[in-house]
Amino acid sequence: MGMGMDWTMITLPLWVLAGIVSFYFSLGNARVWTSIAVGFFLILVAEILPTAIDFLPGLEIPQVQAMTSIVGTIAILVMSHGFQEYYVFSRTLELEGNKTLVYLGTLGVVLCSAAFIWINITPDERTLEVINIVENTNWVFLSLINIDLIRKIYVNIQDSPISKGFAAFIFVFAFIFLWKGSELYINVYNLDVLAEQGQYLGRYQISMYCKEIGNLLAGLSVGGTFLYLAKLLR
Amino acid sequence: MILLPRGNPVREKVNPGKINLPEALGKLQKGSFTGYLRFEAANGTGVIIFSSGKLISALYEEGSERLIAYDAIARIFELSLAGRMTLDIYKLSTELAMSIHALLHGDTLYKGQELKLIDIKSLLGKFKADKMSGCLRIYTDEKIALIFYKDGTPLGFFHDGSTDIETSADASMSVAKLPGAKIDVLSSGGADDIELADLMASADLSALWKKAQELLVKDKQSKQKVESRNREMAQKQRRIQLQSMLRTTAEKHIGRIGVQLVDKEMERHIPEEADWNEALLDKLLSDLSKAAKMVAGPKAIKAMLGEMQKSAKAIA
Repeated sequence: MGMGMDWTMITLPLWVLAGIVSFYFSLGNARVWTSIAVGFFLILVAEILPTAIDFLPGLEIPQVQAMTSIVGTIAILVMSHGFQEYYVFSRTLELEGNKTLVYLGTLGVVLCSAAFIWINITPDERTLEVINIVENTNWVFLSLINIDLIRKIYVNIQDSPISKGFAAFIFVFAFIFLWKGSELYINVYNLDVLAEQGQYLGRYQISMYCKEIGNLLAGLSVGGTFLYLAKLLR
Repeated sequence: MILLPRGNPVREKVNPGKINLPEALGKLQKGSFTGYLRFEAANGTGVIIFSSGKLISALYEEGSERLIAYDAIARIFELSLAGRMTLDIYKLSTELAMSIHALLHGDTLYKGQELKLIDIKSLLGKFKADKMSGCLRIYTDEKIALIFYKDGTPLGFFHDGSTDIETSADASMSVAKLPGAKIDVLSSGGADDIELADLMASADLSALWKKAQELLVKDKQSKQKVESRNREMAQKQRRIQLQSMLRTTAEKHIGRIGVQLVDKEMERHIPEEADWNEALLDKLLSDLSKAAKMVAGPKAIKAMLGEMQKSAKAIA
C-alpha cells in the first residue's frame, strides 16, 4: 500500500487539475458538455475523499467512505448520460434541457444517495466492499460502452472542429478501463487479502501497477483532453 | 397602321380606358356627329367613322390582322379598357367621312412607294383610263394628304386640319414635295357600292363593353396568377440559393454536421413555400449558432455567421 501512497502524490494533483479544468469547461460551453464535465469533476471528489482521510478528521466514518464510492458511481453515470445526449444530438440535431438542471439534478442525486446511506445501517467492511465493486463495475462496463458511443459520435461529427477532441476521449476511457478494471479484478478475486497472506503477489503487483498507471494516465488525459477541447472550442 | 389625315380635331390624346365608350359613342350619335375616332395603340390602330350620328364603319388593324365592324369595336374596347390606347376625335364633312369609309374598306393597290420613283403622270393617266375610284395617299412621317378620285376623275384633296374635301391642291401637294414622301394607291371600289348600316342600331355596344370589361378582369386574374406563380418560383429559387450558400459555408467552417444543422434550421425557420427576409434569416442564424456551439468554438462560429450574412446580402 506504500506504493499506492507514492502514486497518490502524483495522481491527486493531476485529478485536481483535471477536475478544475473540466468544471470550468462545463461553465463556458454548450449545455450538453455540462453532464460530461460534471461527471469528470466528480471523479476528483471521489479521489480526494479517500486520500484526505489521513488528514481530515471524520472522513474515516463508514458512511463517508460509502459516499466516496457512490459519488464515483454517479460520476460515470452522469458523464455517460452526457455522452448519450451528445450522441442523440449528433443523430437528431435536437438539444434540450439547461445547465442549472444538470447541476441541480446531479447535486440532488448525490444528496439523495447521502440520505440513503445515513438513514440505513452503518456500512460494515463488506458493505463498503460491495459498494466499491458496484462502482468499479459501472466504471468498467460504461467505459467500454462510452468508447463505442464516442466512436459513433466521432463518425457523425468527423470533420467538425471538435471531432479530434472526441477521439481523445476514447483514450481517456481506455485508461479509465485499465484503472477501474484492475481495481475490479483485485476486488473480485480478493487479491489484496491474498497478497497480504503472501499468495498471488505477482498478479496483485501487476494489477496494482495497471491500476496506478491507468489512474495516472486517466488523470493526465482528462485534464489534457479538456484543455485540448477548450483550445478547439476557442 | 392606318394612315389618315387629321381632320378638325375635337379631342386629342384622350385615354379611352377612363371613359365609358358606349356612352361616349351614344353622345356622338345623339349629336349627329360626322367624323372619325382614331384609337392608337403601340401595335395597332382602330378607326370608328360616324356620318350624321350613324356609326357607319369600324376597323382595327394590327400587323396583318384586320378586324371590321363589331369585331373591331370589341377589340378597340378591350384595348381601351386595358389602358393601351389613346383616342383622337376628328370632325369631317359627310362627303369626306363617306370617302374615308369607302377607302378603309377598299383595296390597297400599291403601298409605301417612294414618290420620287413613281411616274405620277402615268399613274394618274391609268386612274383615268381605268375609271378607278379611290384615293392617292401621300405621306411623310409628319403629314398626310389624300387625293380622292371617282370614276377616274379627281374629286378633291384632304389634308391635316381640313374638315372637307378641298379643291385647292396646294396643301396636299406640299406634302408630296417633302423629302422622303411616299404614296399609297387605294381603290375604294366606289363609296356608293358600300352598304351604310348603323352599327350602333344593330348591336348593343354596352354588351360588347361589358364583355370587354369581363375579359379584362379575366385577363387581370390570369396575369395575377402568372405573376403569383412567377413570384413563387422566384421565392423558391431564392430559398434554394440561400440554403445552398448556408450549407456550403457551414460545411467549410464546422464540417458536414453543419450542413445537417442548416437543413434543420431552414426547415424550422424558412419552410419551402415561404420567402425569407432579414429578420427570419437572423433568427435562423441565431439558432444555428447555438447548435453550432456543440461542435465548434466562438471563433469558427463568428467567421461562419459573418460569411453567411455577407453572402445572404448578395442573394437578397
